Amino acid sequence: MTTTAAEKRSALAPLGKPFAAVGGVLSIVAAMLPWVTFPLNDGNWPDKSTLSFFDAPFALTGFRWHMLVLGVLVLVAAFAPTPSKGRVVRALGWGVLSVAAINGIYLVVKGGGFGAITAYKDVVAFGSIAGVVAGVLVILAGYGIGIEPPGNWRIKLSTPVAYLVLLVSFGAVLYAVSAMLTTGGVGAGNPYAGAIFLSFLGFAGGLLAALNGIGYTKWISHLSEEHRVFSVIVLLACALLLPFTDAGNEYWMTVAANIGIYAATAIGLNIVVGLAGLLDLGYVAFMGIGALVAANFSGAAAANFGIDLPFPVAAVIAAVVAGIFGAIVGSPTLRVRGDYLAIVTLAFGEIFTRSAQNNIGGMTNGSNAIPGVPQLSLFGTEFNKQLTLGSVKLPAGVLYYVLIVLLVAATMTVFANLKFSRIGRAWIAIREDEDAARAMGIRTGKMKILAFLIGAMLAGLAGAVFAHKNGTVSYESFKFLESITLLAAVILGGMGSIPGAVLGAALLFVLPEKLRDFEDYRLMIFGLALVLIMRFRPQGLIPDAHRRAELADENVDGTHVDELPKEAKA
Amino acid sequence: MTPVLEARDVSMVFGGLKALKNVTLSLDEGKIVGLIGPNGAGKTTFFNCLTGLYTPTTGQVLLKGNVLPGDPAKVTDAGLARTFQNIRLFPSMTVLENVMVGRHVRMKQGPLASLFHGPAYHRGEKAARERSRELLEFVGLRGPDDELARNLPYGDQRRLEIARALATDPSVLLLDEPTAGMNPQETEATQQLIFRIRETGVSVVVIEHDIKFIFGLCDSVSVLVQGELLVEGSPEVVRADPRVIEAYLGKPPEEVEHDIEAAKGEQA
Amino acid sequence: MSVLLQQLANGVVQGALIALIALGYTMVYGIIQLINFAHGEVFMVSSYGGLATFTLLPDDLKKSPAVALPLMFLGGILVAVVVAVVMERFAYRPLRNAPRLAPLITALGVSVFLQEAVRVWYPDATSNLPYPKVFPTGSLALGPISVPWTGVLLVVLSVGLSILLQTYINRSRMGRAMRATAQDPDTAKLMGINPDRVIVLTFVFGAVLAGVAGVMFGGYLNNINIDMGFQNGIFAFTAAVLGGVGSIRGAVIGAFIIGLIKTLAGQYMPGGTQYDYVWIFVVLILVLVFRPQGLFGEPERVRA
Repeated sequence: MTTTAAEKRSALAPLGKPFAAVGGVLSIVAAMLPWVTFPLNDGNWPDKSTLSFFDAPFALTGFRWHMLVLGVLVLVAAFAPTPSKGRVVRALGWGVLSVAAINGIYLVVKGGGFGAITAYKDVVAFGSIAGVVAGVLVILAGYGIGIEPPGNWRIKLSTPVAYLVLLVSFGAVLYAVSAMLTTGGVGAGNPYAGAIFLSFLGFAGGLLAALNGIGYTKWISHLSEEHRVFSVIVLLACALLLPFTDAGNEYWMTVAANIGIYAATAIGLNIVVGLAGLLDLGYVAFMGIGALVAANFSGAAAANFGIDLPFPVAAVIAAVVAGIFGAIVGSPTLRVRGDYLAIVTLAFGEIFTRSAQNNIGGMTNGSNAIPGVPQLSLFGTEFNKQLTLGSVKLPAGVLYYVLIVLLVAATMTVFANLKFSRIGRAWIAIREDEDAARAMGIRTGKMKILAFLIGAMLAGLAGAVFAHKNGTVSYESFKFLESITLLAAVILGGMGSIPGAVLGAALLFVLPEKLRDFEDYRLMIFGLALVLIMRFRPQGLIPDAHRRAELADENVDGTHVDELPKEAKA
Repeated sequence: MTPVLEARDVSMVFGGLKALKNVTLSLDEGKIVGLIGPNGAGKTTFFNCLTGLYTPTTGQVLLKGNVLPGDPAKVTDAGLARTFQNIRLFPSMTVLENVMVGRHVRMKQGPLASLFHGPAYHRGEKAARERSRELLEFVGLRGPDDELARNLPYGDQRRLEIARALATDPSVLLLDEPTAGMNPQETEATQQLIFRIRETGVSVVVIEHDIKFIFGLCDSVSVLVQGELLVEGSPEVVRADPRVIEAYLGKPPEEVEHDIEAAKGEQA
Repeated sequence: MSVLLQQLANGVVQGALIALIALGYTMVYGIIQLINFAHGEVFMVSSYGGLATFTLLPDDLKKSPAVALPLMFLGGILVAVVVAVVMERFAYRPLRNAPRLAPLITALGVSVFLQEAVRVWYPDATSNLPYPKVFPTGSLALGPISVPWTGVLLVVLSVGLSILLQTYINRSRMGRAMRATAQDPDTAKLMGINPDRVIVLTFVFGAVLAGVAGVMFGGYLNNINIDMGFQNGIFAFTAAVLGGVGSIRGAVIGAFIIGLIKTLAGQYMPGGTQYDYVWIFVVLILVLVFRPQGLFGEPERVRA
């Protein structure tokens, strides 16, 4: 593989810049060409994509605007002095290709054949084909120019300037998140929502990879490392500002809150799997235990205790109970290693589901569940109601959103603090080589149980919030497949990496919202994704600094270590 | 004076196989003891018994007069550190983090401090980092300390392993073939390093195949053959012992003689 | 008393089924130390393969069991083998030198994928599907108990095939290569054994047995559903662990023990059949904690 890559490069080398030039121009042309030959059954293809040539340069929106931007950037990147030029060009090429291909494929499928994107009744529309060709050319151009390690900026900034840069960068992230959530509208409302969303994702992904290629993301993460407190505050503020953006409606507040709950749980799982290297296949049970405890103390009519505790108290009890179960489930780690342990955790998870289903212990109400868990409220405002601050009306569910942002922030802090501590180092050492860790004086058994305990507590806490937000607690929400989904989130994002866990959870819960067409295939795609990630990118989308090198090196594909993006430490 | 490390009548039986037969060994403070013997003589098994990885079938191991517990973590805590024959670093941790893992047993940081990062946490981390950097300097690793351990050249990995073991503040250091796979210059540097380790007051036990190296390094040498302690004494005594020439390595005596002569020449 | 005897007989039949699946786990683990989590789904897929074969048969052949049944076995086994070989080639082989978690996660992914693929693509797979009635009907009466002929056939096939497998591995050239690879892949390679071939063959053997089990499962229980792979896979895995992973004899004996526990717990323990599953998990956890090498396995020695 390495040799073929090298050969490919040498053959392409003289073609690098010409290909970039042609590809860049072609994608600009593609943006202006018509893309479809006739109006589709479900209405015109979005963003007036139009049966006619491009005629209003500044009115261009949607994917054609994206094509135009990418095309211009390709030309700039190829002919201006750009760090790691080949890598940047390749990334942009992937962006062009995915935008063109996604729109083209959707048009073919929705339009009922290739006529839709070529020629039909004297009308021609070669936009998508030109775009795909442009994408391929630009990717090849990237290889021709040569893939080098991402750029490394050593610009030192004075504190106020650094603050400004960070502020602008995180603001852009907020804008991007808001755009990503709202783009294409809400699932059922727009027949093309899936296409618009995926196309946007392709554009954003290409752009981000290009930014990573020139070294911008690495630089920003260095900056934020330097100004850690400031960055954390700004990020938190950005997250709290989301309700004021276009995404500030009840629907997206609910989705974002759900993502947050699972993200917090995934971060807990990441402690167990990512740091300590213990595969837990029954993890969602701890979330279930937390939710059950909270529900039973909530004063719901169906609760099995007649006690109505204030939420913070109930949440702490939920976390503690889940933690105790975590320690119990983790205790076989004293004797059982590796994949056997994974099976033990799976068995515990299944025992939980079965017991809950049959109402063993009388806590779960079996398949009747515990309905009517009251909404949380603060100063008389229920969390699911609208909130009015002065003249600003905030969407319903915003208080849950805020609560959950704080929850995620807290779990992130727990994870980050533990990771860079004596305990975190011990966990990583155990993951790397358990015998050597013991030889360093680490009480491995104690440490592993601690990982299970803390992970379970975080899941229990998230479960308590889940109980109130959802209103109903049923064993159905905590089955094996939920554990797999969480695991997929952790692995997709990158084991041991915090932003990875959030991104993984976000993708795994936003994608199904956006891609209603594929709802039936959701789990199948998860399964396939696990296989493909392990095969091609075992370090995940945002790899942890440690994990990256380890897994990349073992990538059988022969991908060289420094061909992989170097994001900063999580 | 009680010896700092003492193995009394250690035997180890695997199934029907007697890997070690009543091996007794003692190490005085500030000394370097070499353990040699042909392949399969039980050297590494003996190390594993010392460090608690195996529980000896009979016999006991004492460190400063106290019986060592049968748990590698507690043994390290008590002050006996080791390196491994086939390097066992934490490959995807950085050089500095590897050594800081070695500080684990000497750090006071509990779960709450780890969680909340108060002033005590920062003091502890700073101290551990400084001590680790000192040790890296001491073993001669001067490269960037945020390099991943797996990316170090072979000789540096060996040195890093020694630094990591020293970070546990041991009173006795066990080195399992520290010069395996090294060229003569690196071997020489390792010898100097072990001398410097002794100067800091740490006693050392070394397993090696390289007789020259052992005779040039050790205050006393023990020869292990088929799980039994054959000879024990100063390098001169061991070198002169006909049984060693007979039994050691199964080589024809002339060849061993030659090795030994070469070793003598080296020393002179 | 007759209830007990009847349950014992049922347990033996269950055990025979589990044994056929457990052999696949134990062989693969013995060779490449992988818990092939997806093996239960291979069993499930083969059951649907057998059903599909029957559906595709012309009507006159459907009426003659003597033709239809062997063809169903053939179809089921074929599907299982193809799935297993593809899975080995494209999912596991590229990960052979990866960290241990990677292939296990892959196995999970394959498992979810297969189950969902059948659910989405096999017609009406969301509900229980009836299995064709081409199996011998009636029961063997032994005093107070009766065992359906399908159950008898299952036991005969299971015991027969495991003896055959054991003999093959002990006697044949390829069997020797398998044992050598299991012991020490590197040395085996030096001796001219092609590990890829050995590993593929191991998967194929496992798949053939799972294929037999898949079709027999339909014949014995008359219904199949997409959960059968996960559940029976776990039972079989437990059996393999109980017997000592890597040991053929252990897997078979473990399977019979699990089968008995399942039926007896379903009869006599609180919670009934709703809860038999849990007792097997309890056994699994206890075995892993207290005797991880199983009844017939050798304890793993600590590396150093």
